[in-house]
Amino acid sequence: MYRGREGQWAFVLHRVTGVAVALFLLLHVIDISLVMFGPEGPFEAFLVFYHNWPFRIGLIMVIAAVVYHGLNGLRIILMDFTTWGVRYQKHMWYGVLGLTTIIGIPVLLKVVPEILRGA
Amino acid sequence: MQITVKIKRFDPEADTRPRWVEYQLDVDPTERVLDVINHIKWELDGSLAFRRSCAHGICGSDAMLINGVNRLACKVLVQDLGNRITVEPIRGLEVKKDLIVDMEPFFDSYRAVLPYFINDEPPPPTERLQSPEERAVFDETTKCILCAACTTSCPVFWTNGSYVGPASIVNAHRFIFDSRDRGTLERLEVLNQSNGLWRCRTAYNCTEACPRDIPVTQAIEEVRRAMLFRG
Repeated sequence: MYRGREGQWAFVLHRVTGVAVALFLLLHVIDISLVMFGPEGPFEAFLVFYHNWPFRIGLIMVIAAVVYHGLNGLRIILMDFTTWGVRYQKHMWYGVLGLTTIIGIPVLLKVVPEILRGA
Repeated sequence: MQITVKIKRFDPEADTRPRWVEYQLDVDPTERVLDVINHIKWELDGSLAFRRSCAHGICGSDAMLINGVNRLACKVLVQDLGNRITVEPIRGLEVKKDLIVDMEPFFDSYRAVLPYFINDEPPPPTERLQSPEERAVFDETTKCILCAACTTSCPVFWTNGSYVGPASIVNAHRFIFDSRDRGTLERLEVLNQSNGLWRCRTAYNCTEACPRDIPVTQAIEEVRRAMLFRG
């Protein structure tokens, strides 16, 4: 493993979250499209299936992935289009991680009790 | 100081895959990794192959992956690494033997960006004058020694050896921002290819690896903006 620093890990996380969100989107398009078989059909079955705890944890991860990917995308835009962005890339990355965590807290507060209750 | 040096070795005539070999030796903490490797070659195992020339951080021959980071072996002190040192060849280029890689693809990319002064205008009666401010714009990118530490630290280059790489973009920057040069459009055309500078994913490994402290990613971004707004 190359011992890269913040920039390398920002890049790796950006790629991983990008692929994860793309795969989720594919799944989402498929399950939503099942509604054409009627509200009681496979669409409903999928919704029930998604309430299993592994998918609830997946939900938390997808939300974190979307938030990270979006915020880091803004960081990349600032690096690409401003003269100062590169200089502050590490600071901005820590900002992205901090904001992702802060935004994730309400998600955790909502979803984790639901998982524990088996709701 | 007793140290263990682990070197990733490969002999194309005997090995099918690279193998790790450990050496134990006693060195002074203020010695450099290059001194250590020289000790190994001269006193322990003469078959070890590596490149070095000036041994003072200028020729750019001894870029290696040292403890997981691209460095010049002649610029790293043992005391800054501890008593376990791992040395591997730089990545993304074919290993010829031990720590020696085929640098030709790297120099092909370098040559592709026309890294020389282009100006077809008639020579002026005196020098082509340049103000200190105009010189300062590309001052950092004049420092490149073509050691390939940046290009071979780049995750994009590891998976796509056709990517022109940070070193070439740095050397293009040196001329693109030279007020006396007139070859900007030709260079931007080369860099605007699919394996050109848009491949950069700003992982900053190049900037961290540069033994000359060139702000490599900054230079890449400046050339990108030149491409967007000037080209």
